[in-house]
Amino acid sequence: MPYIGSDILARELKKGSAELLILSLVEDQPRHGYDIGNLIEQRSGGVLRFNVASLYPLLYRLESRGWIQGRWVEQPGQRRRRYYKLTAAGKKVLAAQRNTWREFVEAIGRITGIENA
Amino acid sequence: MPDWQDEVRRRLSGLRLSPTRETEIVEELSQHLEDRHAQALRGGASAEEAYRAALQELTESDLLAQGLRRVERPVRLEPVVPGTPRRFGMLGDLKHDLRYGVRMLWKNPGFTAVAVIALALGIGANSAIFSVVNTVLLSPLPYNEPERLVMVWEDDTKHGYPNDTPAAANYVNWREQNNVFEGMAALADQSYNLTGSGDPERIDGKRVNANLFGLLGVAPLHGRAFAAEEDRPGANKVVILSHALWQRRFGSDTGVVGQTLTLNGEGHTVVGVMPADFQFPDRQAEMWVPIAFTQQEAANRGRHYLEVVARLKQGVSLEQARAEMSTIAARLQQQFPEQNTDLGASVEPLHEHLVGDIRPALLVLLGAVGLVLLISCANVANLLLARAAVRQKEIALRTALGASRMRLIRQFLTESVLLAAFGGVLGLLLAVWGVTLLKTFIPENISQVKAITVDTRVLVFTVLVTLLTGLIFGLAPAAQASKFNLNETLKEGGRDAAAARGGNFVRGLLVVAEVAISLVLLVGAGLLINSFLRLRSVDPGFRTDNLLTMNVVLPQQKYPDHARRTAFYTDMIRRVEALPGVRSAAVTNWIPLVYQGDSIGVTVEGQPAPVPGQGKLPIVTTRVVSPQYFDTMGIRLLQGRGFEDGRDRVDSPCVVVVGEGVARRFWPEGAALGKRVVPGTPDNPDDWCEVVGVVRDVRQLDLAADPKPLMYFTNAQAGFFAPRYLVVSTEGEPSALAGTVRKTVWEVDKDQPVSNVNTMEGVLSESIARQRFSTLLLGIFAGLAMILAAVGIYGVMSYSMAQRTREIGIRMALGAQKRDVLMLAVGQGLKLVAIGVALGLVGAFALTRVMTSLLYGVSATDPATLVTISLILVAVALLASYIPARRAAKVDPLIALRYE
Repeated sequence: MPYIGSDILARELKKGSAELLILSLVEDQPRHGYDIGNLIEQRSGGVLRFNVASLYPLLYRLESRGWIQGRWVEQPGQRRRRYYKLTAAGKKVLAAQRNTWREFVEAIGRITGIENA
Repeated sequence: MPDWQDEVRRRLSGLRLSPTRETEIVEELSQHLEDRHAQALRGGASAEEAYRAALQELTESDLLAQGLRRVERPVRLEPVVPGTPRRFGMLGDLKHDLRYGVRMLWKNPGFTAVAVIALALGIGANSAIFSVVNTVLLSPLPYNEPERLVMVWEDDTKHGYPNDTPAAANYVNWREQNNVFEGMAALADQSYNLTGSGDPERIDGKRVNANLFGLLGVAPLHGRAFAAEEDRPGANKVVILSHALWQRRFGSDTGVVGQTLTLNGEGHTVVGVMPADFQFPDRQAEMWVPIAFTQQEAANRGRHYLEVVARLKQGVSLEQARAEMSTIAARLQQQFPEQNTDLGASVEPLHEHLVGDIRPALLVLLGAVGLVLLISCANVANLLLARAAVRQKEIALRTALGASRMRLIRQFLTESVLLAAFGGVLGLLLAVWGVTLLKTFIPENISQVKAITVDTRVLVFTVLVTLLTGLIFGLAPAAQASKFNLNETLKEGGRDAAAARGGNFVRGLLVVAEVAISLVLLVGAGLLINSFLRLRSVDPGFRTDNLLTMNVVLPQQKYPDHARRTAFYTDMIRRVEALPGVRSAAVTNWIPLVYQGDSIGVTVEGQPAPVPGQGKLPIVTTRVVSPQYFDTMGIRLLQGRGFEDGRDRVDSPCVVVVGEGVARRFWPEGAALGKRVVPGTPDNPDDWCEVVGVVRDVRQLDLAADPKPLMYFTNAQAGFFAPRYLVVSTEGEPSALAGTVRKTVWEVDKDQPVSNVNTMEGVLSESIARQRFSTLLLGIFAGLAMILAAVGIYGVMSYSMAQRTREIGIRMALGAQKRDVLMLAVGQGLKLVAIGVALGLVGAFALTRVMTSLLYGVSATDPATLVTISLILVAVALLASYIPARRAAKVDPLIALRYE
């Protein structure tokens, strides 16, 4: 599948799903920005890619809404990194967004005949 | 490695993020880029490809900016509202600055404590001394329109008495002939034996003209003042009591008015009680009785014993009064040449009379505490400077955020004044405590001593001093802090070498100033201590050890004639001398150092009497003593003999013993023995008194002044001055015998009051109480100054050594020895101290001149004092710079080099 980053639809889709993706990734453990970006790219098989310019404003927005919380963590021999973890408020939002997304995907599937993933 | 931070930062410009936030974002994003770059390299990409891959992340950088703009809040710029009055902004700033200042001080408790204590000491000392100055020098005297009150004296400058106590006849003439005074009143010392109710007690009082209280404008608290007719011989005896006596002896019973007291054996009716704050002329006088001159007394021009106070008429100046009194005195000279030749009249403002002596000492002390405060300021300024260096990052941030230089200076000054305010509050507490302390050793005979308090004026003074202090010590750090290189400081680890050097220069300057100022103070204190020691070691001509003294004054009523008095004294001396532990005992009219009066003119046989109208008799001070006096007092007999019991009787020829000064003056060829003199002029041949002995001169009147001519009569013959003092020479500690001696006196007469029991050491010590007071205080302040200066030098050297750790490390790595480092550091301190000492010496030369009137036996530029003090100060300074130097020399070069 070709890289679809330039495609308008993909961009809108990505935007709509981005919050859900990030919240999901930090649900189990705190992660730093580069890690999040990498995981999105790997798990989507390269279909979804966020670069610095798109990822970080999103992280900051989520943080300013109080859904995730960033914290500088120092580890021996490494430069300090900023790790983000899901807050209690973030958990509720994540649950709600998962539901909405599932309903949305099912609805799209029923209409377009695309099989449910 | 490419500078990702720069790439990111460039893309964030224009967002006006707060610097802190921006730094964070830059760090996070550039790290992401770095990771990406590293990953690309690991994946086998060339450096070029990896770089591009990472930069790829920043494409759509407008997107980044947009995205961030939506999320991040830009720094709010201070809105500029046209037409807003500036002071609202300033007030708002002030509130903010104060809050910030409190936070800063709170966060640095060690610094704050040191600074506040230094300031409190300085401010407290100032407020305490100002309290004294305020009450003693500045407050108006507690009389009605006190500025119109003056003292009028006989001016006998020719014989060394510019302000001499007038004779009654002169006073009476002055009063009759002048047109410048609203009123005049005379006072004479008189003490009273109060007997009848309770223990017999001796009370110092004054005989005064009836108009005295009206003249001063003070009404009695209870009862009334004297009536004019009570001031005549033969009138009913009346008395007015001081508040203190009324409280102490009569338990504040208002019923005492109208009662009759037995004073010197005569009944006196109490007519009034004065208010608590009333004293005239000083607190010693506890009762006042009308002076009621007899005709004979009012005509006497030879006995000079009055004090005269007068009130200037409205609109009459001091100069006019002086001119008129001189005219009157000149007229009296012509009229009465025998007694009044060379006798003028001088007019002295009452305030000057009461505080004149202490004024120079108080002003010197006020100056001294001012200097101590300056040193405190220098110390705190130093602390602030050191802290300003630490706070450079903060200042940089504030400048970056648009704070103007003025704004920074204001912030710093606010902090300084805040610091000063804490110091001021604590200082005020110290002052309140200090004033209580001061009152315990300030000489009691200084006017208004009891009234010294911390009042509103002292409060205002303290507030002003505090503000000024804050501004003074805040100025240097504020100027220093606001003048630095923004770019240099913002760089990580960047050190503004130029600013640091500038800071060192200012700090050095402060040390120089501290050393100079403390040198001036120490020299002043040194001179006073030197004077005091010389004064203490003056040979007064009599012994001061193992001597007990007390007042035993016989009441006129009970002992009306010379025979009865002599009998009492002879009996008393015999009994006292029989006591175990007593070597000898004697009586005299005045022991040394308590009284300046009782001087008379004498005629010397064989020397021409003064031509009437052209001169008067030579004046000598007379003392009436019992035979054992010279032995008891340790006054050495130089020629002839002393007085002898049984040989010099009232019915035998009159004999005198003279001081060596008198012998030299009257009989310069050295043959005083056998020569004859007479008090006044001889009326008949029996009046002549033969000189039977010459004794060493004693400092009878004043320890600091050269001995005055002195002539002794024996109490067995001289009825004119009754003895007032008993002196007892003891084997051991004299005060241990006080009780026994007193009981022995009561064995002779159980109603006889005994008062002012003291040792001769004590009498001597009281006579130099003022000198001790100023010496002690200036010594304390100078010591404080030296400690503060030492702390200052220590602080600066420690800071400087800490700054130079790296340099010292390099030197030591290159082979410098500990000794070299020590020399380097101590040398640096020594240079500053040397400059300070040099400047201080110049200052001392200029300033100690004002102390001339306080010095005794040393010049204001006494080289020994100057050299000693300089050496002491240099030693202290060396120690203060040696400690940090030694610490610096202990540094491990490896650690020092790593130190940043």
